[in-house]
Amino acid sequence: MQKVWFTVLILVYLDFSVRVGTVPVCAYGPAGCKVPSLADLFERVIQQSSRMHGMSSDLHSEFEQSLSPNKNLIGKRRCHTYAIRTPDDKENAQRLGREQLTEVILKLLEAWNDPLSHLYWSLSQDQNQDFSYYSPSKALEITDMVQELRDGVEKMAQKMKLEGVTGNTVGSISPESLVPSFAVSFYKRGGLDSVDHHDLLYCFRRDSNKVKNYLHILKCTTLPGLVC
Amino acid sequence: MKRGLGLAVVLLLSAAVESSSTSPPGTPVLLGCRSPEKETFTCWWKPGSDGGLPTTHRLFYERERLKGIHECPDYGSAGSNSCFFNKKHTSIWVDYYLRVVASNALGNTSSDILDVDVMEIVKPYPPENITLLVKEQEGTPYLHIRWEPPLNIDTKSGWVTVKYQLRVKQDNSHQWKNYSSDTQTFLNLHSIVLGAMYMVQVRCMLDHGSWSEWSNTTSVPVPKYFPNERPFWILVSTLSVVPFLAAICILVMKRKSVKQCLLPPVPGPKIKGVDVQLLKSGRSEEVISALIANQNLPPLVAWMDQVEEFLIVSDCNDWRSPDPTNPPKRKKSLIIPVGFHFDQDLLCKEPLPNHWEKKDEIVKNSETHSEGSLPSTDLNQEQQRDHCGEASDRGVSTWTAERHQCAANVSVQPFAISGYVDIQRHMQEAEGTQVDYSRVKEVTGNDAVILEKENVQSQREDEDIPEDYSRVEEVDGDNVVFLQTQDGSCKKKDEHHTDCTNLKMIHPHPSKVGVCAALMGSEYVDTTPAFPAS
Repeated sequence: MQKVWFTVLILVYLDFSVRVGTVPVCAYGPAGCKVPSLADLFERVIQQSSRMHGMSSDLHSEFEQSLSPNKNLIGKRRCHTYAIRTPDDKENAQRLGREQLTEVILKLLEAWNDPLSHLYWSLSQDQNQDFSYYSPSKALEITDMVQELRDGVEKMAQKMKLEGVTGNTVGSISPESLVPSFAVSFYKRGGLDSVDHHDLLYCFRRDSNKVKNYLHILKCTTLPGLVC
Repeated sequence: MKRGLGLAVVLLLSAAVESSSTSPPGTPVLLGCRSPEKETFTCWWKPGSDGGLPTTHRLFYERERLKGIHECPDYGSAGSNSCFFNKKHTSIWVDYYLRVVASNALGNTSSDILDVDVMEIVKPYPPENITLLVKEQEGTPYLHIRWEPPLNIDTKSGWVTVKYQLRVKQDNSHQWKNYSSDTQTFLNLHSIVLGAMYMVQVRCMLDHGSWSEWSNTTSVPVPKYFPNERPFWILVSTLSVVPFLAAICILVMKRKSVKQCLLPPVPGPKIKGVDVQLLKSGRSEEVISALIANQNLPPLVAWMDQVEEFLIVSDCNDWRSPDPTNPPKRKKSLIIPVGFHFDQDLLCKEPLPNHWEKKDEIVKNSETHSEGSLPSTDLNQEQQRDHCGEASDRGVSTWTAERHQCAANVSVQPFAISGYVDIQRHMQEAEGTQVDYSRVKEVTGNDAVILEKENVQSQREDEDIPEDYSRVEEVDGDNVVFLQTQDGSCKKKDEHHTDCTNLKMIHPHPSKVGVCAALMGSEYVDTTPAFPAS
């Protein structure tokens, strides 16, 4: 019995003493490994946003087809990201400046995290056969994509700050400045029905298009040498 | 008559009624809107019936994030029954709610509301300036298609990205072949048929919007005979092949003389006394006997391991005048230990190293130096070999005291394992100052020998003859030697020197020493044990 306790003590001690710390692989800059350049980051981020927009369009068109024909499409829809001021044409976007544009992008991406996961949950719960079989998995995929894109844009913003391209006004978005958590309730509290799904997807398609466009403008103004 | 009149009246009345009735206009229909570059857009409608009265159409819209109802800013730029929204009035990602109102004197009629987001109605114009060129690469032709983006598109600022699509067909076929080009404005088509006529169309798309219309067809004929350099090269190769063939023919015809020129016959080796045919026959014993007979050499002697035998090589000049009474001036001699396998071409073969290590070896040294250590001179192997070569020519045996001419100007060498000590001969005129021997004190290493310091000075009569040596008194015949009796005078040089009184018994009688070859009157004879005579 004593031997057992002794062994346990030893193991516990070892567990505490031999704690392997994890260090990111490329923590030490160029000496460690190759850190992607700003151009690479831009490229990746833009590709990701393009994919995201493509998926959102597909999902939306699926819903559009599955909706009953007598749906009143005239009803003015509102998106929960209405509160976020976004430039709505080329001149305004160019006038905004790099820092603010990046901030807008990050805000938009952050705002869609919750609604999308709620959508996925709702879709997988819904017994209604209005939508195609693959919609819930697509919704989940989109949710992940949004998260990845957000991380990518943050890294890109940091890199821009590092290279002196932007000032220091771009920081991590504090949760308070985000669209409030009533985002989901914006549509409907509780379970979302198919109409709400449709509206949500419509709004998401629009916002993903905005993100894609803004990133493109950002890239072409920050790195003018590249092919635009 | 009355019936006809009645009909006419009815017709007139109906006509009058028709012409005089007016009604509110019919319902116009909004056909759609389009934005060619995502910065402006245009909407079109189709008017309904005008109700007999002049009717005007007006477009009103409401917009997301914009309060109030607004009217179309530009009715004329895009043609009749259209509304053009310029940059100032266009906003993306916002919904426009449009409707057209037809109005005449009698009333208004409104169309249905159209919900438009500019993001969704983007459809560009077709690409411009499509050029086709037939180019050539490494002898094969290909089609180079180039075009330009449609007008008004702003790709520089990154506002839109354009994607292109092509389709190509030959003149005689109905099947188009589609090709995609992502964002580049040219395409190279490699698999084309010579002599055919190709027709090409291009279209483009902005972001994820709609495809534009196909551009106008551009066509280009591909020439039948492609002007490449192949015939030229064929000609060149043909012309160069002809003289080449001629050269080969000449070479073949004159091959014998060519062979003479390039590969002259090598004279075969000829050895005196050796019959090539005999060699070819392959019987080695006969060959060897033939060789040996020529050379008059004694047979090979078996290796005698433990016996030290010394070859006494003395000055060759003395040999010429074998006058015993007139002692030769130079008594420099070479002692070369012999314990080696006799080979006919090398008289002096390598001694075993252990021979040198024995302390009672005595090396004759006619050195002029009186230092203890032997001067380090290199063993002149070649010189040695030369001597040996000469010696072999004269057929000298190893175990006799032979004098031959090769012992002249031999230089002292350090003891290489593979060599001997070759002793420098200095022609010393002074009598009695001859230094015949130095005793080896110590052998250090492989190539140095420490000798005794003092010279061995002795007169001829008082010579300190090593105990192993006896003076030859008389040579009798081919194999008989008369030796002198020795007296016991010898200095005690060193501890290695044994008791001098312990003389060797000299044979009073002529003894058969068992020498195989002729003794030519050398001074010292080594009393070696007998060995088989030839």
